[in-house]
Amino acid sequence: MIRYILRRLLWVVFLLFAVSFVTFVIFYLLPSADPAVLRAGRQANPALVASIRHQLGLDQPWYVQYGRYMKELIFHFDFGFSYQNGVPVRQLIFSRLPASISLAAGAAVLWLVIGIGVGIIAAVRPRTKLDRASMGAALVGISAPVYWLGLVALYLFSSDIGLIPILPGANSYVPLSEDPFSWFTSLIMPWCVLAVSFAAFYSRLLRGNLTEVLGEDYIRTARAKGLSERRVVFRHGLRSAITPIVTIFGLDLGILLGGAILTETVFNIPGIGRLSYSSIVRSDLPVIQGTVLLGAFFIVFANLFVDILYAFLDPRVRYE
Amino acid sequence: MKSIRFCSAALVALVLSLTAVACGSSSSNSGSSNTVGDVPAKQSLTGKTGGALTVLASDDVDYIDPGAAYYQFTFMITSATQRALYSFGPDDSVDPVPDLATEAADVSADGKTVTVKIKPNVKFSPPVNRVVTSADVKYGIERAFLPTVANGYAEVYLGDIVGVKDFTDGKATEITGIETPDATTIVLNLSRGTGGAAAGALALPISAPVPKEYAAKFDAKNPSTYGVNQVATGPYMIEADSKGALTGYEPGKKINLVRNPNWDRSTDFRKAYLDTINIEEGNNDTTVAARQIIKGNAQINGDFGPPPAVLKEIFNSTPDQLALTPSGGIRYVALNTSLAPFNNLNVRKAVLAAFDREAMRATRGGALLGPIANHFIPPDIGGFEEAGGLDGTGVDFLANTKGNLTLAKEYMKKGGFPSGMYTGSDELLMVGTSGGASQKAAELAATQFEKLGFKPKLRLVTADTMYTKFCGEPKAKVIICPNVGWLKDFSDPQTMLDATFNGENIIANGGFNSNWPQLNVPSINAAMAKAELIVGDSARNKAWADIDRQVTAQAPAVPWIWDDNPNIRSADVAGVVNKFNGNWDLSFTSLK
Repeated sequence: MIRYILRRLLWVVFLLFAVSFVTFVIFYLLPSADPAVLRAGRQANPALVASIRHQLGLDQPWYVQYGRYMKELIFHFDFGFSYQNGVPVRQLIFSRLPASISLAAGAAVLWLVIGIGVGIIAAVRPRTKLDRASMGAALVGISAPVYWLGLVALYLFSSDIGLIPILPGANSYVPLSEDPFSWFTSLIMPWCVLAVSFAAFYSRLLRGNLTEVLGEDYIRTARAKGLSERRVVFRHGLRSAITPIVTIFGLDLGILLGGAILTETVFNIPGIGRLSYSSIVRSDLPVIQGTVLLGAFFIVFANLFVDILYAFLDPRVRYE
Repeated sequence: MKSIRFCSAALVALVLSLTAVACGSSSSNSGSSNTVGDVPAKQSLTGKTGGALTVLASDDVDYIDPGAAYYQFTFMITSATQRALYSFGPDDSVDPVPDLATEAADVSADGKTVTVKIKPNVKFSPPVNRVVTSADVKYGIERAFLPTVANGYAEVYLGDIVGVKDFTDGKATEITGIETPDATTIVLNLSRGTGGAAAGALALPISAPVPKEYAAKFDAKNPSTYGVNQVATGPYMIEADSKGALTGYEPGKKINLVRNPNWDRSTDFRKAYLDTINIEEGNNDTTVAARQIIKGNAQINGDFGPPPAVLKEIFNSTPDQLALTPSGGIRYVALNTSLAPFNNLNVRKAVLAAFDREAMRATRGGALLGPIANHFIPPDIGGFEEAGGLDGTGVDFLANTKGNLTLAKEYMKKGGFPSGMYTGSDELLMVGTSGGASQKAAELAATQFEKLGFKPKLRLVTADTMYTKFCGEPKAKVIICPNVGWLKDFSDPQTMLDATFNGENIIANGGFNSNWPQLNVPSINAAMAKAELIVGDSARNKAWADIDRQVTAQAPAVPWIWDDNPNIRSADVAGVVNKFNGNWDLSFTSLK
C-alpha cells in the first residue's frame, strides 16, 4: 500500500509538471493579449514595450521563462507576481482559497446527503410514485444551469432583491474567521444552488447502481439468512453500489476546490474560480498558471485519496 | 485617460462599463432628447457629514498605483485619495481647478515652459506625515516613466520634457527638464512648444506627489509595489497599516477608503462628507448589483452601468436615482485605410453611407445611451461645437443615420465598382470583441458590410487580445475593427484626435498602435503638428475642430455613438457626478 501511494505521489508531481507545461505552451501559442503591451498603455512606443517586456522577462525564450518559473516555484514556492496589480500570486491564491473551500465543502456535504438519501429511497422503492417523483426532480436538477438557478434563487429568496427575502443574497459572503454565523448564512443559498445538480446526478447514479446490486445473488442470500432489510441495504448493498459515487465525488470536489466560477460569480464569492476567470480575461499569465496548478493539485490529490479509500470500502480492492 | 476603457489595459471596462441599454430606440437623428435622468448643469454640493458609502464594482481597478492608473473607475478613486496639481470639480468637465497648485499653470508664449506654484501646507498621509514639496511632484512624474511603473500616457503628453529620453534610457537618474527652484515651484522645460497639452495632463494623477525617500524602494521592484504601499494627499486614503502597506485593498475583492488624518480641509475644494467608502468588487452580475443599489442594499455603482432591462426600469420608475452624463468618448468601426479595399476613399465613403448607425446604437441600448456620433470630437470637449456639434460636419455620407444605400452605391461606382457593389472575392479580416453588447455590435457591423457585397470574416476574441494582437498591431493586417473607441484624456480635443488619426503616430514593430484606421494623410498630420503647439483654448479648439472636419471627410471609420454614462444610486444617497470623469464623485457625494 505504501509503495502504491509513493508511486502515485510521483505521478502527481509528474502530472503537475505536465499541467504547468501545457498551460505555458497554450498561453504562448494561442493569440492571447500581450502583457507588455497592456502594461505599456496606449500609443506605447516599441522601446517602452521592449523595456517592459524585458522587465517582466517576457523577452526570454518561452522555455527559459518556464524554467525560471518552475525554479522559483519549486525552491521558493513563489508563483510570481500578477502582471495586473503587482501582488504576489501566492498571496492572491491564499486569500481566495478559504472562500472556495467553504463553498465546495459545504455544497459537497449537502449533495452527498441529499443525493445518497434520495438515491437509496428511490432504489429500495422502485417504480413507486416516490421513485418517479424523485427521479423526475433529479432530471430537472441536472438540466438546470447553475447560473440560471442562482439568479432564480436570488430573485426568490435573497434578503435584498428577493420576493421572499429570507436569506442573504449576492455580495454577502463573510469569511469564517470574521463571523461564523454570517459565514454560514451567507453560504446557504450558494451551497444549495451548487449542490442541486450534483445531488440530482448522484441520486440517479446511486439509484441505478443500488437497484442492480440489490438484485445480486449475495443480497438474496443475505435476505435468506434473515438479515434485516436495513442491514441488507446499508451493509451489503450500499457498500458495493457506492464505489462509483466515491470516484466521481473525488473528481467533483477536486474540480470545485479549484474554483466554482459560475456560482462564485452569481453570488460574488471571492474564490479561486473568479480569480482564474479574471486572470484569463486579462491575460495575467502568472495568476492563470497559479490557479491552474492549484486546480490540478486538488484534482490529482482528490483522485489519490479516492483510490486509497477504495481499499477500505471494497475488500476486493488491494493495491500492490 | 478613459482611452483605457476603450483600448489597452481595461478590456474589462470596455465590456462592462458602458453597458448596453435597451430602452427603446430613438428616432432622433443625433441626440438623446430625454432630460429625465440627465445630470443638472449645477448640482447641489451641500451634504451631510459622516457615514459609510458602499460602492459596487464589477471588477478591479486597472492599476492601484496612481502613477499607472488610466481608467475612469480608477480615477474615481484617485481623485479622492490623491491631489494632482489640478483636478476637476463636479460640474465642470472642461476647466480644471487648482488642487495641489495655487493657480493656473503658467505656459510660456512659445509653449516650451510650464510653471506651477504649489500649496505649501499639504501633507502626506501616514507613515510619511510630512509636507509635500515640488520635489515630490517631480518624482511623481519621473517615476511614471519607469518601466516598473509604466504609465500609459506620460510619453504622450510629457514626453517632450527635456531629459526624458536620457532618463528612460538609464543615462540619467532624474529628468533634467523638470526643475524645482524652490519647495513650492515646479518648472517643466519642453523641447517643443507642447506646453498646452502638457499643462492639460497635469490634471491627471501623474502630477500627484510621491515621496521619493519612501517610494523609491518600492519602485525598484519589478513591477513597482508602491501601489500597494501608497500614501495619500487627498481627503481619503486606502486603509493601511502603520508601515503604509495597504490593508484595505484586495484585488478583485475590495477597496476600503478611510479619512486621511493629515488632510486639511482649508487647503482643498473637496467637501469629503463621507467617513468611509467601501468599494466591493466582483459584482459581475450587473443586473443583481444594479437592483441591490436601487433597493438600497448598496449605494452607488462604480465601474458598470445597469444592463438594458434594469436601466429601462429605473428610467421609468425611479428616474431620480439615475444620472446620465456624457462620457467624453466615442465608439467607431475602424476601416484599415492602408489596405484594399479601404485604401480607396470612395469605397470608405460608401461604407459610411450604407451603415445603419441607429441599429448599431441599439446594440448598446439606444438613444438613452448617447447621441449618434457624426464626427470624432465628442460633446463637452473643446472643439465639439466648432466641428459641427451634434449635427455633424455636413458630409453627405453621414447625413442619414439609418444608412442610405443609394448614395452608398454611387460612391462605390466612383470607387471603381460599376455595379455599385463590391465585386472582390477576398474575405476581409474583421476582428471584434466576444461577448455582450460588443459582440452584438460586431455581428451587426458585419451585416452592414455585406449590404455592399463585402465578405467580412469575423473573428471574435477578448478585448485585450483584439487590441494588442490584432487592431493595435499593423502587422496583423486587420481590415475592419468594429469594436474600437476612444475617450478623452482630459478636456482637450488633441486627446481625441492625435493618437487616433495622426499618421505620424502609427506604431508598428512591437508598440501599440492606436491609429486603428492607420490614417496617414500628410495634410492632416501637418495640421496636427501645428495645432499641438498652439497655446490658448480658443485657438486650440478651432484648430482641432478643423482637423476633425478633415478627418471626418477622409471617412476612416464609422462613428456611431458618443457614449453617455448611466450612473445609479440608492434613495438614501445625495449623489454628485463628476462630469469630467463621468462617474460619481466620492469627494462630494454624501448620505441623506
